[in-house]
Amino acid sequence: MRQLSCPNKTNLRVYLILMWLVLLASPTVSAESDPSGLGYQFTPLAPLVAAPDFILKDMDSESYALHDFRGKVVLINFWATWCPPCRKEMPALEALYKKLGDESFAVLAVNQWEDPDHVFAYTGELNVFPTFPILFDPESTISEEYGVKGLPTSFLIDKKGRLAYRAVGGRDFDHPEVEKLILELQAQP
Amino acid sequence: MNAACLMKARGVKPAWLLAVVWLVLPAVGISAIAEQVSPDTGLSSWKSEGDALDFEFVQVLPDYVRAVYTSRGLPKAVVDKVSSYCVFGTILRNTTDRPLSYRVADWRYITPDGVRHRIRTKSEWVAEWRDMGVAFRWSMLPDDQTFAVGDWGQGFTTIALQPGSRFALEYSWIQDDKTETRRIEEVRCAPVELPKQD
Repeated sequence: MRQLSCPNKTNLRVYLILMWLVLLASPTVSAESDPSGLGYQFTPLAPLVAAPDFILKDMDSESYALHDFRGKVVLINFWATWCPPCRKEMPALEALYKKLGDESFAVLAVNQWEDPDHVFAYTGELNVFPTFPILFDPESTISEEYGVKGLPTSFLIDKKGRLAYRAVGGRDFDHPEVEKLILELQAQP
Repeated sequence: MNAACLMKARGVKPAWLLAVVWLVLPAVGISAIAEQVSPDTGLSSWKSEGDALDFEFVQVLPDYVRAVYTSRGLPKAVVDKVSSYCVFGTILRNTTDRPLSYRVADWRYITPDGVRHRIRTKSEWVAEWRDMGVAFRWSMLPDDQTFAVGDWGQGFTTIALQPGSRFALEYSWIQDDKTETRRIEEVRCAPVELPKQD
């Protein structure tokens, strides 16, 4: 059997540098950290399929149909007041809506299980009052159709009404990368 | 190259090398599971960091569990049943640049007598609530999920033990068709109530 010899000092230096580079490149080290703890990544969905349509009511019993938003990029956020990350991401969602919400972008926050009185009281406790529509899915039938397993979960729907991106867990919606995704979707034909 | 060569080349004593390795490994991706006690609540949590799956397991007081379900307007039978379990808030996060998944059905808790027990899943709770005429399907950690890059989630995990009980927890996740398992020793259920502080 061949006896392995110890390398000289130069080889040792190269070896140590290589070892450090390997460690730096490992996924757990290179994963991006986010001070807010929310993150900003969305996962592209393929193949693109039609988002399940729905008609839901808001706090004033006004009906909203998803198909009425065709031609806009829509962010659907499934949430509840008792869910801590849902509460945490709400101000960023409002900031995003204030920045981009117009004729070509909409936010629909779909509440799970709760009643309008309770949610209205909750929105009064927030530092930033949500100006986007808050819709009610009292039996969680719509979230079930979207395959939502945990709250919050968000989807970006393209102008053709197709599910384009998903994010499981809270997000910093006000992050420039999220804005960039939306602008890219808006630029699509 | 082996450690002996490194030590010979650097003139490093083995004890020093071990100390350096122990200090450096957590920072470079080898997991460390540590118990922390919240100065605000006095409750313990166990947190793993450095793995592909960040895992946090937080004690929840039975009274808090009661409050959570009561304030959702759920029937007393539901509140009583859930709060009879030892409940932990569980927070999971994919820290890598590749998807990973978990299945609660694969996880086990091990009581001091060495017996391995399966954990009651969200589906089992939801089915029981459905039979009681309750459509609520939130709050429990989902049975299984695939977390894409940046995804994370949380929910209650229920252990069929009394307040204050001790056990070990084995949890796992799958990434690139490979299952990783971690074990946390000496996990404790929350007490019935926190001792009063002076």
